[in-house]
Amino acid sequence: MTTVTVKLSRSNRIYRSSEAVEGKIVIKSPNSISHQAIRLSINGSVNLQVRGGSAGVIESFYGVIKPIQILKKTIEVRSSGRIPPGTTEIPFSVNLREPGESIAEKFYETFHGTNINIQYLLTADIPRGYLHKPLSATIEFIIESGRVDLPERPLPPEMVIFYITQDTQRHPLLPEIKTGGFRVTGKLATQCSLQDPLSGELTVEASSVPITSIDIHLLRVESIIVGERIVTETSLIQSTQIADGDVCRKMTLPIYVLLPRLLMCPSIFAGPFSVEFKVCITISFKSKLAKAQPKSDPTAPRLWMALERLPLELVRTKRDQFSC
Amino acid sequence: MEFDFRNRDYGADHESHLLPRSRTQNHPLSSPIASRQQQARTVRGSSDLDFFDPLMGLNASAEEKVEEEKDTSLSIEAVTQDLAREWKSLKRILMQHFPVSKVISFSPVSNVITKGSKVETPSAQPRLEETGSEQTSLEETAKVMDQQEYLAKVRELIDGITNAWQVEDRVTSLKLSIKVTKLLMDTTVLQFYPTVFVVVTDMLDMVGDMVWERIKEKAEHDVDGTLICTLSNNFQASDICLEARETCYNWFCKVGSVRELLPRIYLELAILPCWRFLVNQPREVLDRLVMMVRGLADPLASVYCRLYMVHRMQKLGFCNSGYLIKCIKDIEDILAPILVDKDGCSYITDDKKLLFNLMEPAIEYIMKCLLLTGRQENNVLGMLEELGFGKNKSQSSDNCTHVSILLHHLLKELPSELVSSQAMEILHMIKCSDDCSFSQVLNYRLLGIRLCEGRSQADFLSALISEVMQAASQYQTLYDYLRIMDAYVDLLLQNKMENHLDALLDNIVYLARDQFLSEEEQASLQSIILKLLSHFEDLQKVLSLNHFIEILDLMSGTSKKIVNMHLLNMGTRNGCICDSTTVQLLFEVSQGLYDATDFVNIKDDDNRQTSHLISRFVEMVDYGAERERQLLFLAECRGAFSGIHELKETLVRSSNTLAVKSLKAGKMHINFVKSCLAFSEVTIPSVTIPTKQLNLYLETAEVALLGGLISHSDGLVISAVECLEDVAPTDGLKSIDVDSMASVVCKLCSLLVMVPGNPEKGVMKILKSIFSATCSSSWAIPRLKVKILCAIISLLSTLSQDNLPYRSANPEIIGNDILFFGDSSYKNELVSWAQLVVGELVEAIEQESSQIARGNIALEACNYISSALIMNEKVSQLCLRLLETAKVCLGEKDRYLEATKQSLQL
Repeated sequence: MTTVTVKLSRSNRIYRSSEAVEGKIVIKSPNSISHQAIRLSINGSVNLQVRGGSAGVIESFYGVIKPIQILKKTIEVRSSGRIPPGTTEIPFSVNLREPGESIAEKFYETFHGTNINIQYLLTADIPRGYLHKPLSATIEFIIESGRVDLPERPLPPEMVIFYITQDTQRHPLLPEIKTGGFRVTGKLATQCSLQDPLSGELTVEASSVPITSIDIHLLRVESIIVGERIVTETSLIQSTQIADGDVCRKMTLPIYVLLPRLLMCPSIFAGPFSVEFKVCITISFKSKLAKAQPKSDPTAPRLWMALERLPLELVRTKRDQFSC
Repeated sequence: MEFDFRNRDYGADHESHLLPRSRTQNHPLSSPIASRQQQARTVRGSSDLDFFDPLMGLNASAEEKVEEEKDTSLSIEAVTQDLAREWKSLKRILMQHFPVSKVISFSPVSNVITKGSKVETPSAQPRLEETGSEQTSLEETAKVMDQQEYLAKVRELIDGITNAWQVEDRVTSLKLSIKVTKLLMDTTVLQFYPTVFVVVTDMLDMVGDMVWERIKEKAEHDVDGTLICTLSNNFQASDICLEARETCYNWFCKVGSVRELLPRIYLELAILPCWRFLVNQPREVLDRLVMMVRGLADPLASVYCRLYMVHRMQKLGFCNSGYLIKCIKDIEDILAPILVDKDGCSYITDDKKLLFNLMEPAIEYIMKCLLLTGRQENNVLGMLEELGFGKNKSQSSDNCTHVSILLHHLLKELPSELVSSQAMEILHMIKCSDDCSFSQVLNYRLLGIRLCEGRSQADFLSALISEVMQAASQYQTLYDYLRIMDAYVDLLLQNKMENHLDALLDNIVYLARDQFLSEEEQASLQSIILKLLSHFEDLQKVLSLNHFIEILDLMSGTSKKIVNMHLLNMGTRNGCICDSTTVQLLFEVSQGLYDATDFVNIKDDDNRQTSHLISRFVEMVDYGAERERQLLFLAECRGAFSGIHELKETLVRSSNTLAVKSLKAGKMHINFVKSCLAFSEVTIPSVTIPTKQLNLYLETAEVALLGGLISHSDGLVISAVECLEDVAPTDGLKSIDVDSMASVVCKLCSLLVMVPGNPEKGVMKILKSIFSATCSSSWAIPRLKVKILCAIISLLSTLSQDNLPYRSANPEIIGNDILFFGDSSYKNELVSWAQLVVGELVEAIEQESSQIARGNIALEACNYISSALIMNEKVSQLCLRLLETAKVCLGEKDRYLEATKQSLQL
C-alpha cells in the first residue's frame, strides 16, 4: 500500500502571507512506482454558505454561494520519473506571494465559522497515468496576517465602561428584579489583540435578588450579502463564567478570557461578507423559572437575566506570541 | 567434750578488719559538679567554642537562642520545606477531623460520579450530554451513596486520568480532570467537603506535575528525542524553545476554555508552575487569580479554593505576602455577611459553627503561610499594617473590627516579640472583634499565652492587664473569666503585680459566690491555682494571698485532689512544718485527699503518691517543744488516715523520735516517754508487713531501753518474738523476704546483747523463744534458718564474754556481763544452748536442697562456729565435717572454701 502525506515545517502550521510554506512530501511505498510529475497546489478561498439564521427559505435552499478565491497556485516539485521503494521525502518550499505578484484578494486569516469558512489547503498530487490511481494528500495550513502591515503593540487600551441596571434592559424582567433593582458596572477592552486575552473587570454594586451566575459569552457575527439582502448569523463561540453564586457586593471581579484559536480572527469587513465579534455579559438571577427552563441559547434574553452586548474588535498585532 | 567459748577482743578485731583510710580534700560526689563549673567558666571565657557540654550551664544556650530569635528572616528554602510539611499535615487533619456519617445524599452536581466513570471519546461527548439532561431528572430523586463508594468512584476516575495520560491521550486526561474537579462545586454535604478537597487536589497536583514534566521534556528535547538543553532549576522563560512554549500556552488555553469558574481556577492552579515556561515574573497571573477566586460566592468553596491557591503559589515559588494579604482580606469580606444576618444581629447557629469549623484549617494554613512569608521577607510589621492590623486607634476607630477567627490565627502565628511590642493594639483589636466565628474569650486567652512566651516589658503590661481584667469581668460568667485570666496569671506573677493578683482573686470569689463550679470551671481554676503554687517558694506566702483559702474551698472532685496534692507537696518540700495554721490547713488538705481516695481497694501509683505525700506531711510536722501536742497530732492522724499503711510506720517513728527528744530534754518527762511508747506499741500491730513490724518493735524497744524502761523493752522484745512466731504461715515464703527477715533477726540478736536477762523469767527465755520459733516455723527455709542460728551462736558467744562489746546508752541499764559476772550456771546454760543450736545448725545445712547454697552456708556456719568456739577436738571435727560438705558441693578449688580452710588452719 503506497501512502502519501504532507508534513509542514511548523507543527502549529501557522504561516504569514509573506512567508514561504515549507515542508516535505513523504511517500511510503513497498515497491518502486513511476509517476508523471509531483505537483503541489495551494488553494485559499472564502467559502460562504447561508443556512438558518436570518436567511429566507429560498436562500437556504440555494445554500451555497460561489466561493471567493484568494489564492491558487500549482508548482511542480518533481518532473516525471520513478520513486524507489521505501520512504521517500521530497522537500518543498512555496512562496505564498512572490514579490510584486498581485493576487485577487487579500490574505484573510484562517477562520472557521458557521457560514463563513476561510481556509488554506495544500495538496500534493502524483498522477500516475491512466492505469494507476493517482496519489494525493491534502493538509490545511493556517494563515495569520503578515507582519508588515500590522499595528504595533501595545494597542491603546480602549476600555469601554459599561453599567447594567434594570433600566438598561430592553427585555422584560421578573417583577422582583425590576422593582428590587441591581447595578453592575465594569469596563472591558473592546479592541483586543488576538494574542491577548479579553480583559476587563466587573463589579456587582448592588442586587436585591441573589445572583446565581455571571457569564462572559464570545459571539461571532457573520454577514453575507446575498443578492440585495444581508444575511447575518450570530453564534456563540465560548462561554466563560466569572461569578458562581451570589458574589460579594462591591468586589471587583476580573474578566479574563483567552481567545480560542481558529474560531476567531481579526474582524473583517470585506465587500461580499464580514466577520465581526461581540461580547455578551449575562447576569442570571435566582429564580424558580430558571430551573424549569431547558438549556438553550445562553445569550437569549430571559425574564431572570440581564444582558449587555458589547462589540469586540479583534486585531492582529505585530508581536509574535511569547517571543522574547 | 564440752564446747568452750572463745575469749573475744572485739576492739582489736574491729581494728584489724578496718580498711586502710586516707584523708581526701574533696567530697567524691561533689567533684564532677565543681569541674563542670570550671569548664563552664573556661568555655565562656574563651571565644572559640569547639566543645559544648550539653549539661553545662543553661545560660549559655539561652544566649544562643536569643541570637537565633533575633534573626527572624528565614530562607526561602526553609519556608518552602516548612510549608510542604504543613500541607501534608493539613491534608491529614482534613481527612481525620471531619468524619462523615456513613450515608450521604448527593445533589445532582455529583452526577459526574453517578453517571458512571466510563471514559468517553471526544466524539461521543455531545450525544452523552444530550442524554444527560434527561437522566438528571430521574437521578435527582434518590441519590444516596456511601462515602466509601463515592471515593472509590472518584479514585476510579483518577485512575482513568493516569491511564489516559500513559497512552498519550491527553485530551481524555484533561477532560476527566475537569470532571473530577467539578466535584468541588458541590458543597451540599459540608462535612464531606474537606475529604473531597484532599482527594481532588491530590489529583490536580499529580496532573500539574505531569504537564510540567511533559513541557520540560519538550523544552529539553526536540521531536527526535535529541537533547537541546538541560534546564537548570532557575531557568528563564527565554531558555524555552518555541515548540514547548506553544504546548504550554495550549494547556492554558484548554484550561481557560472551561466554562465553569471553579474548575477553571483549580485547573489553572494545577498547572500554575508552568507559567514559568512562558513568563519570568508571573505577577499579573497571580494578581488575576487572586481576583478570580472572588467570583466564587460559596464561602466554603472559596476559602478552600484560596487554600489550594496558596499551596500552588508555593509550588510556583512566587508567593509574596501581597497576594496572601489580598486573600485574607477577601476572606474577611466573604465572612462578613455570614457573621451578620439580615436583621443585623449576629448569633451562632449550628450550621455556622460547622462552617467555621470546616474553614478553620484552611484559614490557619493561609495565616501560617503569610507569617512565614512575611518573616522571610523580613517585613512582618509592614504586612500587618497592610492587613489593617496594628493601626492607631485614632486612625481607624470604626474600621478596626476584624473577623475574630482570622485574628485568632494571626495572633497564633505572630512572632512573639511582635506580640509583646504590639500587645496593646492587639488587645484593642480583640476587644473590637466580637463575632460568632471565634470565641472572643479564647482570643483574650491566646494573647495572654503568647505574651507569656515572649519577654514583655512591664511598663505597659500593667495597663494591659487591667484592661484585660476589665474585659474579662464583663463576661459575668466565672468560666469565661477563669479561662481568660488563667493565661495571664504567669505574667502577673513574673512581673510582681500584686495588686492585680489581689483583684483577680477578689473577682474569682465574687463571681463564684453561691455557685457550684462545673467541671470546666474546676479545671481552669485548678490551672490558676497550680500556677500560683509553682510560682511561690513558700506555702506561707500562698496562704497569705487574699481569699486563697476561700478559693480552695470552691474546688471539688479530681481538681481538688490534684490541687491538694500540689499543696501537700509544696508544704513538705521545705523542711519542717512548724506553723500551727499551716499544719491545720495541710491536715485538712490531707483529709480531703484521704476522703477522695479509696486506699483499701485500689492500689495504683496515684494512691501510692497520695499516701506517700500524707506520710511525708506527718513526718515533717514539728511542734518543737510542744511534744504533747505533737503526740496528740500523731494520734489524730492515726485516727484520720487509718487506711494508709505507709503512715503507720511514720507514726511509730515519729512517736519514737518524740520519746528520744524528750529523753534528751531531761528525766522529768519519763511519763511522756511512756505515753509515746504506749502509742507506738498500740500502733505497731496494725502494720501489716511482718519484717516492718518486727523492725518497729525493735526500734521501740531500743528507745525504751534508752529510757531505762526495762519492763517496757522486755515487753516489746517479747512482742517482737511473738510476732516472729506468728508470721502467718499462710502467707507462705513468698511474702517474706528472706534477707530482710534474716537481718531483722540479726538485729534482734544484737539488741539482746544489751537487754539484761530477767532472772525471774529465765535468762534465756527470749533466746529460747527465737530458737523454737525458728525451728518450728514453716517460713524458715534452711538458708534462713542457718543464718538465724549462726546469729544465735554469735550472740551466745558475745554474752559469754566478760566484757560486752557495747551497752545501752542509759547508764542505769546494767548489762548481763555485770549482772551475771562469775555466775557459772549462766555460762553453763550458754554452753548447753550453743550445743543445741549447733546440732540444729548442722541439720539445717543438710536440708538445703541447692548444692551451691548448701556449700556456702556450710562454710558460713563453719566460720561462725570457729570464731565463737575454742577449737577443741569436737569443734574441729564439726568443722571438718562442714568443710567436707562444702567440698562435695562446691568442689575443691572453691576460693571461699580455701580461704575458710586457711583461717581455720586445718
